[in-house]
Amino acid sequence: MSCSPFDLRDYFLQELPDPQQRLVEAHVKTCQPCREELDRLHFTEAALCSLRDEEIPQRIAFVSDKIFEPSPWRRWWNGFWGSAARLGFASAVMLSAAIVVYALRPVQPLPHLAAPPQIVQTISDSDIQARVDAAVTKAVAEVEARETAKTQHLVADLDSARQRMVWAASTYEIAEKRLSRVRLTASGYGLPPDADAREPK
Amino acid sequence: MIFRAVEDADVIRQAARGSVEAYNLLVSRWEKRVYNYLLRLTANREDALDLTQDVFLKAYQNLRKLDDPGRFAPWLYRIAHNEAYSMFRKRRPEADGDEIEPESTGTGITVGGSSVFPIELSLAVAGALERLSPDQREAVVLKIYQGFKFEEMAEILACPVSTVKSRLYTALELLKTELAPIKARGVS
Repeated sequence: MSCSPFDLRDYFLQELPDPQQRLVEAHVKTCQPCREELDRLHFTEAALCSLRDEEIPQRIAFVSDKIFEPSPWRRWWNGFWGSAARLGFASAVMLSAAIVVYALRPVQPLPHLAAPPQIVQTISDSDIQARVDAAVTKAVAEVEARETAKTQHLVADLDSARQRMVWAASTYEIAEKRLSRVRLTASGYGLPPDADAREPK
Repeated sequence: MIFRAVEDADVIRQAARGSVEAYNLLVSRWEKRVYNYLLRLTANREDALDLTQDVFLKAYQNLRKLDDPGRFAPWLYRIAHNEAYSMFRKRRPEADGDEIEPESTGTGITVGGSSVFPIELSLAVAGALERLSPDQREAVVLKIYQGFKFEEMAEILACPVSTVKSRLYTALELLKTELAPIKARGVS
């Protein structure tokens, strides 16, 4: 177990921040076990590095084929959409341009239009109640007018019917009187009352 | 190192725009490292070469998806890792990912004698590496031979940094134990 203030392996692999690296460095100078541990790590690294990198047996190279290469326009388009940063920048530029154009656009007055009406106004509860009452009164008056007109029409019809009945009754009465007179006349001549009655007038 | 990184980023941008020449330049810079990484994973030169070609072809096809050219190395090694494990699965479809082992190269030997020559040391190291689990071996290869940081290794292996450290430290302990007798005898 190491007595180093920080992990000796982190120090060996240079993964510590500078201040901590310096602290461990100072500690190792005075601590024999840590120095020996560090030596073992250095030896292990040196041994590993004895395994040299090999040369690649065959170099890799790509050949440009004009037939399969995209056109410059196509490459630009792919590059444009392929880069989020570039797309974001383009969007920001367009938005800025739109804001600038809108800000610099001359404002033309509209002469044929009058001043906008004042739509917003304060409406109190009493106003609302008054409007409701007026509407109700108007509606009641209309209904009453309609009912009155209908009643007058019915009364007129009734009068007309009554007059017709009066006329029919008077006609009946005249006819009755005539019939009586005919009966009296017929009885004066010794005829049966029915014989005269069958004669047309 | 920084100058090289800037150069790589420029070349990657040109290659992403469709420049085959730029991509060939990029390949020439990285092919040896990728080949050796795959060679240590597969322990087979032909497989390593085939896989290296596949890796660079796949990288070319997907280069436009790489948003940050500075992350090219972990991105490329992630492709290489996936290609290698895809090949292992095809060879042994019934085995789980953790059980996949590359073929033996037969290079592991027991070192005898009072002194160890460099070639013997190399063979001993190759044998010790071969006795590690594939996960431990890959962690050692990525850290010691390829020089990646823990975060980059985690990205390549698609696992947490803690897992990467655990695999690497276990492997280093095993290697230390395996190679201690050689140190005791001294390396000529």
